[in-house]
Amino acid sequence: MNKIIASLKNNRTYLISLALSIFVALFIGGMLMLVTGFNPFEGYAAMIKGAFGSIRVFGNTITKMLTLCLTGLAMTVSAKAGLFNVGGEGQLFLGGLAATVTGIYLQGVSPLIAVPLAFISAAVVGGFYAWIPAVLKVKLKVSEVITTIMLNSVAIYVCTYLINSGGPLATQDYGVLGGSDAVPVAFRFSQIIPTSNLSTALFYSGFIAFFCWYLMQKTSIGLEMKVTGENERFSFFAGLPKDKIMIWSMVASGVICGLAGMFLVYGYQFRFQGSISNEFYYDGMLLAMIMNYNPIGIILMSSFFAIIDIGASAMEFSTGISGEISDIIFAIIIFLMAAQKGITKYITDRSTQKKAREKIRREGQ
Amino acid sequence: MQNKQNTIVNFDNISMQFPGVLANDNISLEIKEGEVFALVGENGAGKSTLMNILYGLHTPTDGQVHVKGERIEKFKPMEAIEKGVGMVHQHFMLVPSFSVAQNIVLSREPRKSKVLYDLKEANRKVKELSEDYGLMVNPKDIVGEISVGLQQRVEILKTLYRGADILILDEPTAVLTPQETEELFGVIRRIVKEKNMTVIIITHKLYEVMEISDRVGVMRQGKLVGVEETKNVNERTLASMMVGREVLFDSIEKTGEPGEVLVEAEDLFVADNRGIMAVNGINLKVRKGEVLGIAAIEGNGQSELIEAITGMRPIEKGQFSISGQNAVGMSPREVRKLGLAHIPEDRIATGAAMPSTITDNIIIGKERSEEYSVKGIHLKKSSIARYAKDLFEKFDLRGAGVDTEVGSLSGGNMQKVVVAREFSLDTPVLIIAQPTRGVDVGAIEFIHKQIIEKRNSGCAILLVSADLDEVFRLSDRIITLYEGKVTGEFEAGQIDKMEISYYMTGDRSADTGGEAFE
Repeated sequence: MNKIIASLKNNRTYLISLALSIFVALFIGGMLMLVTGFNPFEGYAAMIKGAFGSIRVFGNTITKMLTLCLTGLAMTVSAKAGLFNVGGEGQLFLGGLAATVTGIYLQGVSPLIAVPLAFISAAVVGGFYAWIPAVLKVKLKVSEVITTIMLNSVAIYVCTYLINSGGPLATQDYGVLGGSDAVPVAFRFSQIIPTSNLSTALFYSGFIAFFCWYLMQKTSIGLEMKVTGENERFSFFAGLPKDKIMIWSMVASGVICGLAGMFLVYGYQFRFQGSISNEFYYDGMLLAMIMNYNPIGIILMSSFFAIIDIGASAMEFSTGISGEISDIIFAIIIFLMAAQKGITKYITDRSTQKKAREKIRREGQ
Repeated sequence: MQNKQNTIVNFDNISMQFPGVLANDNISLEIKEGEVFALVGENGAGKSTLMNILYGLHTPTDGQVHVKGERIEKFKPMEAIEKGVGMVHQHFMLVPSFSVAQNIVLSREPRKSKVLYDLKEANRKVKELSEDYGLMVNPKDIVGEISVGLQQRVEILKTLYRGADILILDEPTAVLTPQETEELFGVIRRIVKEKNMTVIIITHKLYEVMEISDRVGVMRQGKLVGVEETKNVNERTLASMMVGREVLFDSIEKTGEPGEVLVEAEDLFVADNRGIMAVNGINLKVRKGEVLGIAAIEGNGQSELIEAITGMRPIEKGQFSISGQNAVGMSPREVRKLGLAHIPEDRIATGAAMPSTITDNIIIGKERSEEYSVKGIHLKKSSIARYAKDLFEKFDLRGAGVDTEVGSLSGGNMQKVVVAREFSLDTPVLIIAQPTRGVDVGAIEFIHKQIIEKRNSGCAILLVSADLDEVFRLSDRIITLYEGKVTGEFEAGQIDKMEISYYMTGDRSADTGGEAFE
C-alpha cells in the first residue's frame, strides 16, 4: 500500500496532466455536441447507457477493452526493451488468419487438439512476423518503425486478397460478402454473456495480461528489458545480452498481437474478415504510450477508451449525435498527453533557471 | 592593429545553470578587436557553453553580453549573426550532398528576379570571397567528397559570407592533420592581420595556444581562472592553471607488493568513431595489487583504449589478455566473465540507466545470480532490497532512498551508484575511467579511498583521469599518452605534475627529458 502511495506521489505531475487532459477532451466533446445542436449531458448519459445499459452491451464493452488492453500490452512489451512495434496490426491480421485457417482445416478433429493448435499457429505466425523487423533492427540497424509500418501493409493486403471474393480462402457460403469460411462451432470460444461479444477470451486475455505484468515487474528478464530500453549502451556495457533481449521482446509483442487476432475470430467474429480489426492496434499503441507503458495504467485506460467507443455508437443510435465524437475525444487526450512532457519540461526548466538566478543574486549581495 | 585596445565582445557576470551543473559561474571577460583569443580548459570546464551563449545557442541564467557595445537581447543565432558573430562548430553543420557554393550561400542565396536560385552568381560570389580572404576552395566541389580540412574552410567561408568579423572556432584542430592545422593557422593569421577580424579559438592543445593566440583565458569547472597575454605564459603555467587544484587530500596508505600481471596489452591499435587510429601501438601491463595511472589530455586515445580493453570497441591489431586469457574480439559480456569490472568515463551515457531506481541499477550484473533470483527467473525482491540498502549505506549514498531514480541524483551520488555496482562484483581486474569527474569533494575522497582499498586487497587497477592530482594520488606507476602513443612511464614520486604535462602535451620544443619512451 505504501508503495502505491509512493508511486502516486512520484507520478503526481503525470496523473494531474492525465486527469486534466481527459477533462479537457470531454469538455471539448461536450462543446461540439452543443454547437451541433445537442445537449451534452444527454449525449454523455446516452454514452454511459450505451456502454453499461444492459448486460449485453456491458459484455461488448468488456470485449473491446480486452482487445485494447492486449494490443496496448503488446506495444509495451516491445517498447520496454526499446523497440517501437508499429506493426501490431499486421501481426494481428496474420495471427487471426493463421488461427482461422488452422480451425477450418482441422474441422472434425477434437477441439482439445485443434484449439491448442490454433493458439500455437496464431502465436508462431504473429511472433515470426515481428521477428523479421527485430532482426533487421538489431543486426543491420534498419529502423523498426519503418519496416513494421511497411509490413503492416503487406500483411493486410495479403489477407484481404486471400479472403475477398475470388481469393483462395474466400467462403462459398450463401449470402456472405467476403471473409473466410467460418470456424467450426465446436472450436469457438463459449459465450459468457449470451448474444454479447464476451467469450472465454476474457480468461485467456486475463492470463496474457497477468503474464505481461509478471514478466515486466517481477522477473530478471523484465529488469534486463527495462534497462536495455532505457539505455542500450548501458545494457551493452553491463554485459547484458542486449541483442537477444531486443529481438525476443519484439517477438513476444508479435505473439500477443497474433493471439489478439485469434481471439477476435474465435471470440465473436467466427470468420476472418477484412474488417477483423479497425486499427485496434493503433488505438492500443497510443493508449500504451500515453500511459507511459505502465501495465496497470493500460488496463484502466483501455476500460475508459472502451466505454467511450462502445458508448458512442449507442449514443449515435439513440440521440443522433455522431459517434465520431469518440475519435475526437481520443485524439484530444492523445494530443495533450503527447505534449505533456514538453509542457512539463518547459515549466521545470523555467523554474530551474529562476531558482539559479535568485541564488546567484543572493550570493552576490 | 592599432585598434587592439577596443573591446569588441564583453561578457559581464555570465552564469549558466544546466540541470545539476553550473556550467558557467559568474564569468566576466573582454575580447579585444583584432586579436586571437584562445580559451582553454578541460572537457566540461564550460568553454563551449560560454561561446554558445555568445552565438545565441543558450540564454544565460544571469549576466549580460555586449557585442560592439550593443547588448545582446534575445540570444538567438540570428541576432548573433547580424552582429557579426560567426561560429564553426566541432561537428560541421554542412549539407554533404550540396556543392561548396550551395553550402556557403545557404539561407542567403543570390536570386534572379527575387525568386529563382542564381547558382552562377553563387559560384561567382564564393569564388570572389575565397580569393579575397585567401581561402581557396572550388565552389563546384561536392562537400561530402572533399577533405575535412576543406570542409572546415567551407564552414569558415560560410560565416564570412554572412558578414562575420568575430569568428569562434570550437576545437578546430581536433579533426585536422598537423599539416591542415598549419594551414588553418595561416588562414587565421591572415584574416586577423589583413581583415582585422577577431578570432576566438577553443582548444585544449597548449602548444597551439602558444603558436596562434595573442591572449589566453583558462577555464576550470565553470570558472574563468585567469586571462593572460600569451607571451607572458608557457605551457607549464597553462597546464597547471588548467588541471591544477591545490592538493586537497592527505595521501592514503598503500600496502602490499604488486603480484603477477593480470592485464597485458601488446602493440594495441584501436580506431575511433571516424575510423582513424586513436590508439597507435600501446603496450601496457597491470599487476595484481597496483594502480597503473594513465595521464593524458582529453582526446589522445585514452577513451578508445579503455573501451577496447573492456570489449566495447573492437581491437584493430595487437594482443590483449586478462589473467593470461586472450580477450581480443570479445564483447563486454565475455570480457566481464574473465573477471573485469569497469567504471566508464561517462556515467550518464554508459554507466547507468537514468530512469531506473538505484536498486535496479545496483542489481544489474547479479540479477540472474542464485542469491537474488529463483533459477534466474523470479527476482527475489526482498534480498535485492536488502542488498541495495547495504550498498547504499556502505557507499555513503546521500539523500533519498534506494527507490530514487538515478537520473535525479547529483553527479557524485550517481557516480557512487556506478562505483557501488562495479566494485561489488568483486572482480580481480578494475578498469576505471574518470572516477570523479564532476563529483563534489566529499565524494572524491570517498571514491579514492574505495579505489585504494581495492588495490590493497589485490586488485589490478587501470586508471584513466584527466585530473592530474587524482592520477598522482592513486597511481603506483604512471604512463603518459599523446596522440595514441605512450610518451613516458614513471614510478610514483619520480616526476612532478609540471614536468609530466610536457609528456602529456607532446611538447616538441623542450625535448630535454631523457625518460621519454618511444
